[in-house]
Amino acid sequence: MRILGVSAHYHDAAAALVIDGMPVAAVQEERLSRRKNDAAFPLAAIEYCLDHAGLEPDDLDAVVFYERPMLKFDRILTCALRAFPKSWRSFPHAMKNSLSEKLWVRGIISSHLGVARDKILFTDHHRSHAAAAFLTAPVREAAILTADGVGEWATLTVGHGARGPDKTAITLLREIRFPHSLGMLYSTFTAYLGFQVNEGEYKVMGLASYGRPTMADSVRKVIKRAPDGAFRLDLDYFDFHTSAKRSFSQQFVDLFGPPRDPFDPIDLTTAEGQRFADCAASVQLVLEDILVDIARALQRETGLADLCLGGGVALNGVANARILAESGFERIFVPPSPGDAGCALGAALYADRIHFGNPDRDMPDHPYWGPAVESGELAGLARQDDLPVQEMEEEALIETVARDLFEGRIVGWMDGALELGPRALGHRSILTAPHTSQMRDRINRDIKHREQFRPFAPVVPAELAERYFEMPPGGARLARFMSGVFPVRPEWREKLAAITHVDGTARVQALERGMAPRLYALLEAYGRLSGIPILLNTSFNLSGEPIVNRAVEGYLTFRRCGMDVLVAGQTRVTKKAVMR
Amino acid sequence: MIQLLHRFVWRDPARRARKLLDFAQTEADGGRDLVRAAELTQDPVLRRLYTVHAADEERHAALFRARGTELLRSLPDQSAAGLRLNWLAPGERGLDDLRVDEKTDAGLLAFLHLSEKTAARHFAVYADALRNDAPTTEVFRKILHDETFHMNYTLAQLNRVAPQQRRSHLWRARLGRLWKAYLRVMAAIAGVIGSVFLTLQYFILIPPFAFLAKRAERREPDGWKKAAEDRPLKSQY
Repeated sequence: MRILGVSAHYHDAAAALVIDGMPVAAVQEERLSRRKNDAAFPLAAIEYCLDHAGLEPDDLDAVVFYERPMLKFDRILTCALRAFPKSWRSFPHAMKNSLSEKLWVRGIISSHLGVARDKILFTDHHRSHAAAAFLTAPVREAAILTADGVGEWATLTVGHGARGPDKTAITLLREIRFPHSLGMLYSTFTAYLGFQVNEGEYKVMGLASYGRPTMADSVRKVIKRAPDGAFRLDLDYFDFHTSAKRSFSQQFVDLFGPPRDPFDPIDLTTAEGQRFADCAASVQLVLEDILVDIARALQRETGLADLCLGGGVALNGVANARILAESGFERIFVPPSPGDAGCALGAALYADRIHFGNPDRDMPDHPYWGPAVESGELAGLARQDDLPVQEMEEEALIETVARDLFEGRIVGWMDGALELGPRALGHRSILTAPHTSQMRDRINRDIKHREQFRPFAPVVPAELAERYFEMPPGGARLARFMSGVFPVRPEWREKLAAITHVDGTARVQALERGMAPRLYALLEAYGRLSGIPILLNTSFNLSGEPIVNRAVEGYLTFRRCGMDVLVAGQTRVTKKAVMR
Repeated sequence: MIQLLHRFVWRDPARRARKLLDFAQTEADGGRDLVRAAELTQDPVLRRLYTVHAADEERHAALFRARGTELLRSLPDQSAAGLRLNWLAPGERGLDDLRVDEKTDAGLLAFLHLSEKTAARHFAVYADALRNDAPTTEVFRKILHDETFHMNYTLAQLNRVAPQQRRSHLWRARLGRLWKAYLRVMAAIAGVIGSVFLTLQYFILIPPFAFLAKRAERREPDGWKKAAEDRPLKSQY
């Protein structure tokens, strides 16, 4: 059976193709269109998936959209009615926005792909998240928790899933509905702190480590707990339900002080900068507390050892680590793409296992579902520009790159198929030695141009992770796709200064050999030279750009920044200065 | 007359700061378009030139951002930007909708040449209107210097890539920009008409439904709700 999953129209559009129960291709539209967070209908991604499998749209048995557009419209309209007359400004905008394209998904899919309308299916947004988290995890039975800004109505759901030879089931037990939303709470603080919503949430998490949660009580005023363990936002503090332009109200500003101007850099040596850090720390703490409470109650209720986490909130690695430590679950599974892009895969799997009732299949446990890099393309481009090119045998290449890293060079690393999801997990990465804060500053200055308070992540062989990081039981699983933040062991912090955050933690990727064998070999080779088999691993992109996909994109990124070496497949390219 | 208009637009320091910050964004977006062009072209000379051009745009973005931030910080009330009047004083390609993926090398060069020429003209006018703000004028002057190079290389490369069709590409690019400008104006008018119509509906038709929705909301208990039933996948509801 051939099923295409599609997510689009809000943020992070993507397509995924499942054939006979197994994913064969999945990619975010932004990686192909080169527009960051591209939300447009993912035609290029669909085309890639079909081409990769050698299919025509007619060959598809079903196309599954990741949410129900009419139900979403129902929520938008109802919320406008509830906010009457305050919603008079946002109402025309919301209606035009919905009526122009978002409501006619069946027609759009049918006209773009030429598939029969009865082949087009729709899942619930949070069931797509649940499926993306549960059906890709190597577990038979698990509790499920999904949380994001909002889907149709639900903003957070809890339930459980069971996979077996006869039947696969995902049962959602209960939900919290819009406007009460952990995702919207966090996004509101993201906007208040002057960062871009749906993009700057990482920055809030990074900034939180520099602050103390002195405003936690104030945050608890805007999000109140219900007696049954749920929560509700006090809407007097928010404007996202009445305005298209601002998510927090004047009352919010009265409570927390003036918002940060996005153009004003955060200076943590000033009282104002510290206030913003404290604010970030406060909302982070409250978010974690609520998630831990909900997860703990779910563990008690289900008695299950494993938890699958989905939705954009599952990208919060600090919260994930606390859930693992405090909720009673032994293992937590976060897919590499827990946000809306991953819903394309989730929706396709949900249709396959649950709607069509196809038998369960074990899933490959990796994120590499995108286009593969062509090393010959890189060699051709570099030769056109007279740059030094080496096409090497595998072993020699690994040893040479390890030497590059050991000598302090910054390496762009492109290997095999592109990752699905926001994190570079070793196939489109920028790698460097992780030992000094100077290296971190150099990457910030010459390549990433990002705020000083944002940390960089390490990649370490999974078997050695515990030597360098305080990994709780189950931590390695959470670290498989860089989904947890764990303390760096005190004795290693000085030697791992580039990846140790101000609070002594790191967002670790614990790499198993089978997942990315070449990167694993590189870690081993680097370990032989330096004594520490750990590398700094950050996504292969420049500020404001999506992660690179093809060799030409990696090459031009390499040319435009302070990267020293670029590797794609068996090809190694250097800048002339490096050769000298 | 144009001079007077621009003096008015740029006179207010808050608006000036915000406009410079908007320009920074436009330049950064333009830089990304050029990177995309470099990724797509098969011509190594163009790839190199687009890469240089993209770096220039990124530097311009940094210049505008630095000056805009500096101006903003010097203001007593940083939020008082008021009306930006972007349609009166757009940045580089600020009103163009460039689709790099859909252009041929020659088509893109023609487009870039015209848009750089327009930007150079605008920036010269802005620099003139800002004579009493020396640091901002200096920013425009530096950028103008690069725009001259951009104008020249795009024309020279157009001559190389399509020597016989240079004129026709330039004319097509001109007409394309005009057509897009027309579409933008029409879309804006349609947008205004749509907003007026929807706002009237909002106040005329919606109040009774709003009353019912509010009443239903008041009756909704706090806390967890039973998860929605698993509906058939054929349904959009």
